[in-house]
Amino acid sequence: MKNNVKITRMKASITQEQLAKRIGVTRQTIGLIEKGEYNPSLHLCVAIAKELNKTLDDLFWEVDDS
Amino acid sequence: MKSWISFLIPEDEYKEKKMLYFFSEGAILLFLFLITMIICNKYFDLNLDMVLMFCIAVFLIYVFGRYILSGIEYTDIATEQAYKKELKVICIKTINFVVIFMLLYFIFTGLPSNQMEWIEILGLLLSLSFLWFFTSFISLKRSYMKNKELL
Repeated sequence: MKNNVKITRMKASITQEQLAKRIGVTRQTIGLIEKGEYNPSLHLCVAIAKELNKTLDDLFWEVDDS
Repeated sequence: MKSWISFLIPEDEYKEKKMLYFFSEGAILLFLFLITMIICNKYFDLNLDMVLMFCIAVFLIYVFGRYILSGIEYTDIATEQAYKKELKVICIKTINFVVIFMLLYFIFTGLPSNQMEWIEILGLLLSLSFLWFFTSFISLKRSYMKNKELL
């Protein structure tokens, strides 16, 4: 599933490691979510959205592939 | 979601899901193996001890093998520097294992009395330490390759 997590995280100047620590997952999990290789649970989606001060729509809803 | 198996499952969501898959696959393989053994037992005289040992081996080797090859053990190793540092840690852990194993062996069973016993204990020790190092090395390598692509 494509998403806006990576671009939002980079705009917020947060590293994968920092985001991972703040929401209690591994850096690998963040990397996999950003690459669209792992679909996180709703619980984790909400945690990421809260940490990046965005809504679920901003991060995960209908991302343009182009 | 909590279960009595929770103590074996990692906290991280992705690792948790992967491990649950590995355990489930291992359990299904074990089930199929047991069915096969029941059928074989009708036609061959199977050694019960051997069959039971194989059952344990099938499950453990499958789950452990999948875990090693999946590259989910070293989740933070994504740079060459971190990889080399972790490789040194693995070497040190292997050496520690050899030393502790030898010490415990000498304490509980005493020094080997003849050349054959020395060969047996050294052979066992070398095999175990090689297996320890080799599995850790593969796991580290797979984790590093996986994490590098995720940066």
